[in-house]
Amino acid sequence: MADKKYVGRPLPRIDALEKVRGQSIFAADVKLPGMLAGKFLPSPHAHAEILAIDTAKAEALPGVRAVVTVADIPKSAVYNPASRFHGFLARRFVVFAGQAVAAVAADDLATAEEALDLIEVTYQPLPVVHSLERALQPECTPVIHGRATTSGGGTAHTQVVVTGEKSAGSEEEIDKSPNVVDENVFSQGELEAAFVESEVIVERTYTVPTVHQGYIEPHAVTAHWDRPGHVTVWECIQGAFDARNLIAETLGLSHHQITLNSTEIGGGFGGKGEGIFAPLAVLLARKARHPVQLVLTRQEELIGANPAPHSVIQLKTGAKKDGTLMAIEGEVLVDAGAYPTGWIMSNITATLRDNYRFQAWHLHGREVLTNKASVTSYRAPGAPNLSFAMESQIDEMARQLKIDPMSLRMKNVIREGDPLTNMEPQSPVGAEEVLAALAKHPAWTQPTSERAKADGLVRGRGLALGSWAGATGPAGALAILDAGGQIRIVLGTVDLSGSFTSLAQIAADAIGISYDQIVINKASTDFAPFAPMSAGSQTIYAMGAAVKEAALDLRAKMLRHVAQDFQVEESELGVDEEGVYLLAQPSKRHAFDTLYQLGTQWFAEYGPLIGQGSAPQRQRAPGYAACIAEVTIDPRTGKVTVDRLVVAQDVGKAINPLSIEGQMQGGVTQSISMALWEELLYDEAGQVRNPSLLDYRMPTAGDVPMIETIILEVPGGDGPYGAKLVGEPPMVPAVAAIANAIAEAIGARVCDLPITPERVWRAMNMAGSQD
Amino acid sequence: MLNIKVNDKVNVYDLNMTVNGKPVAVAIKPHLTLLELLRDTLSLTGTKEGCSTGHCGACTVLADGEPISSCLMLAVEADGRNILTVEGLNGDDDLHPVQKAFVIKGGLQCGFCTSGMMLATISLLERNPRPTEAEIRMGLAGNLCRCTGYHKIVEAVQQAAQEMSHG
Repeated sequence: MADKKYVGRPLPRIDALEKVRGQSIFAADVKLPGMLAGKFLPSPHAHAEILAIDTAKAEALPGVRAVVTVADIPKSAVYNPASRFHGFLARRFVVFAGQAVAAVAADDLATAEEALDLIEVTYQPLPVVHSLERALQPECTPVIHGRATTSGGGTAHTQVVVTGEKSAGSEEEIDKSPNVVDENVFSQGELEAAFVESEVIVERTYTVPTVHQGYIEPHAVTAHWDRPGHVTVWECIQGAFDARNLIAETLGLSHHQITLNSTEIGGGFGGKGEGIFAPLAVLLARKARHPVQLVLTRQEELIGANPAPHSVIQLKTGAKKDGTLMAIEGEVLVDAGAYPTGWIMSNITATLRDNYRFQAWHLHGREVLTNKASVTSYRAPGAPNLSFAMESQIDEMARQLKIDPMSLRMKNVIREGDPLTNMEPQSPVGAEEVLAALAKHPAWTQPTSERAKADGLVRGRGLALGSWAGATGPAGALAILDAGGQIRIVLGTVDLSGSFTSLAQIAADAIGISYDQIVINKASTDFAPFAPMSAGSQTIYAMGAAVKEAALDLRAKMLRHVAQDFQVEESELGVDEEGVYLLAQPSKRHAFDTLYQLGTQWFAEYGPLIGQGSAPQRQRAPGYAACIAEVTIDPRTGKVTVDRLVVAQDVGKAINPLSIEGQMQGGVTQSISMALWEELLYDEAGQVRNPSLLDYRMPTAGDVPMIETIILEVPGGDGPYGAKLVGEPPMVPAVAAIANAIAEAIGARVCDLPITPERVWRAMNMAGSQD
Repeated sequence: MLNIKVNDKVNVYDLNMTVNGKPVAVAIKPHLTLLELLRDTLSLTGTKEGCSTGHCGACTVLADGEPISSCLMLAVEADGRNILTVEGLNGDDDLHPVQKAFVIKGGLQCGFCTSGMMLATISLLERNPRPTEAEIRMGLAGNLCRCTGYHKIVEAVQQAAQEMSHG
């Protein structure tokens, strides 16, 4: 294989030129002749039975082309009352405020909005399960109606996973509350004995509110029934195949009836995984016999478009005086909204202690339903929640033990081979390395006390570690030699985070050709081999492996044909940016374009050259990041300013450092925001109280500092050229680093996010109420 | 006060404005926003809609050099004005220094906020050709970006400022 010429270089995004020219086509930029505007009617109630829907007046409004309700969903559709996907249109019951009850397609948006006002829905309001406390009461109204079956969206049945030596006794813990939909117990070692041996015990409860992924582009989808029994869909989506499959399932269509084009995507962060609104547009377009475009408003996004879950994590940890962590007991509650996630709670519970070695643990998690919008992934789903709890706990432990927080972490941090909660040995990871990189950084070596405190403000510094195991999965790609010697990489993956640039770098180096000769062709689900969702930080890791394999396969085929032509062994040939040549006589060569011509002319010796990549990528490569945050607090107001943020991350091999820095800075900023500002507020009626970007506070450029990045390359990654996952780990540790910095500054700990000025002020001035 | 010339018979307004240096004369319904006019009527889809309430800044365009949220301005209010959108920034082969800086410095990721961010930058550099980091951050505080964490946007603005002051 050729040397690494492009892998490792900070190249600008491959699509940067079209983006700065405003030429990229995002989902709402798709325009089709005769296209109608789609709009859905949101339920005003968080929980109600629909007694009647009268659409006659809406249908009679001039300009209205279709009104759909649950009656329009084909009988062949799969329906599971426990699937958030199947709830794209409410059936008999609405289970969260903002759930679509009906939808309209009209000549323009104003007409569609007017028509919504004319739809008459008779509701019988039901008791609203608005909080975890309410949901956990044994006599509480169930959120799910009807008999749930297992499906992609999760299950309504309580699942209890028990591991470890104490499994027999743990059966007693099964929660019979009707809204507990998933329950896990992980138990190992002699917990009570380990607590008895512990000389310091810290016990706290940490809450994280519901937050939104906050992509700037709202969900948008266009559906066009373009030939008999066939619909083409354009959607901003992270998983094109997932979206296609979802439309098939929810509307009872065959997969071959649907072509899914993933458009440019204006941010997703987990919130645009499968796409929960496409079935509505497809249904409307079929009934209206016109293309229909449905674009969400920001208000609809914040109310109904699958935010990230609220959690409550109660931790008790014990350690010996020398800092050896002994025991951890954890109680995890995840508020999943109206539908089970099937995995977010499990993932939090199963990885809660995985960054540190403990002698014994007992971790109990429950996922609970409430009458709120269904939740889904948000960049390392659940990991910031657990890291906030765990890293706050470790910091407080260090304070009580009078051990430096860095040293306590270094002493106990997980290393390769240590048992994880699932009793698998930890993979080679960079946990220790990211901490070590920060330990020698001036932000850590310079004592905080040296900085001025003369201005009446208080300052603190915090450290935290975070990890994410990531996703992985099979992926396919093609590498096609085209005219002019260009190589087309054909794939069905979505470029969520600059991945096409890195994939082109990988392909160029695998072949040995110039990066400029590589074109990434994103194809629809009709033309692309299978691509996994751009989620779980797996695109470079999994799709990168497929692209590399396809490129190598193409290279091997080119070498084989040139060897035949020149009547030499393949080992006598080399590849450079111009083509394939004889090592002993570099002027004897076939340019790439010549190889294309030879493979496409009449009576060719061989056919067109196509490389195939099909990679299972079964190993995971967990990613670690650590942060130092420095904050200044005004004690008069409790206002927190983040002065400095340093993040170190192990990426295995940095394919594109510019892109990786961007991922780290962006992830850290979302994490800062989760620590200090963001919260979707629900009232007792289950209504979102702050569904606008004025009231749901996302950071502006004025709110955050420059983010200093340290990229580490710890070997052991199974991805192309040793790459590990990149996008999610930086989201994890900054929340806790800021919380720890605040605790150091004010000498009290705030355990509820977001850490608002009011909470800081209360912690400082009402001692005992928080600490 | 606006002098709204509504054609009573068909309830349309005859709008005359300049968009990206070219005259535009179009009959529109008076309730159309400038954003709708740009995106739907003129097919200039480089300007994005992120919130429709003036909070996210994705729809920022320049009206006579001033950055405005085109989702909050009625098209009729733009009558007689000179509008600059992302499509008017570059020639066929060259890029505006701000565009160039955003590319080189990695000042964009998904690209959805980029048009508005670049137009806000141009306006900022017009008013303040050598802004400090703090001035850049405050100057762009009306434009949300969720991908970059703003670090590389700030660097891109610094780079553009340097290039434009030398050029």
